[in-house]
Amino acid sequence: MIRKRERLEIIHDILVAIKDKRDTAKPTHILYKSNLSHQMLMEYINELVKKEFIVEKIDKENKKTYSLTQKGFDYLADYESIKSFIESYGL
Amino acid sequence: MLLPYFSPGWFFGYDIILELLFAVALLFIVIFAHKVYKTTTQRSVQIFGIGLTLMMISYIVQSIFNILTIYELQNNISFLSKAQYYLIFQFLGTYSHIILMNIGLVLILYMTFKVENIKILLTILAVSLFAIFTYDFPFYLFTVFATIYLVFISLYFIKNYINNRSKKTLIVAIAFIFILLANAHFIFSINHQIFYVIGHILELIAYLFILWNFILVRRYDKKKRKT
Repeated sequence: MIRKRERLEIIHDILVAIKDKRDTAKPTHILYKSNLSHQMLMEYINELVKKEFIVEKIDKENKKTYSLTQKGFDYLADYESIKSFIESYGL
Repeated sequence: MLLPYFSPGWFFGYDIILELLFAVALLFIVIFAHKVYKTTTQRSVQIFGIGLTLMMISYIVQSIFNILTIYELQNNISFLSKAQYYLIFQFLGTYSHIILMNIGLVLILYMTFKVENIKILLTILAVSLFAIFTYDFPFYLFTVFATIYLVFISLYFIKNYINNRSKKTLIVAIAFIFILLANAHFIFSINHQIFYVIGHILELIAYLFILWNFILVRRYDKKKRKT
């Protein structure tokens, strides 16, 4: 149960890190803000791309950046409700 | 198997309205639980959501058969036909309610165990459904089983409140204690029909608490979206 709650928070932290960087963040910035190992971060990033919460782009310097999709913004908007629902029912 | 009906005559019709209200209250939670599951893909949310969905459908199905009963009693001229339809609709309504509600409550109980073992779930379901449908008074035994499930479910939500003290966890714990009390009253409705009415009133209070919790859960986001 605790592991899942942490997972929700990690996803939230990654999305906030991207949003706070004017919606275009490099992996190093997300790594620093989310406080995860590189391997763990890439697992989460791949999952978020697959779930269409974020989208991968290539910038002018030919480096990877990530931006939020509408689904990502919706997650952030609903985050407190989702967290609150899960806590209410001890899910 | 006998098919006793525990509702007093004057309450017939009011119970339909109440059960439809319970279904509406559950519908809000079910829709949100589905949304939470789609976002988190958390297994416990999925099981809880399916459990609530079955409870919701059980109220709807029972209400539909009760409405059909009233319709046939009012429109059918032949006394024999009226009696036949009454028995058929009450049989179908009560039994579908028992099956769906029993599975729904067992799923919620299974969620509270926090174990991934489908054999436990299937064993409880098989034993309970077999016992209920081989007993002379299925509705009576169902209410006994439901009360036992709800004792453990309520204890889980009380424990959740103790571990995570907040208004929302307290409301959920109170709501399930009221559902437990309602089911305990249904056990005694076999001898005294007034307990069937009291049970429905207690259930109404429970679902109002569940709705209150839902409003509190959703209110935060509405505030956030405005800012």
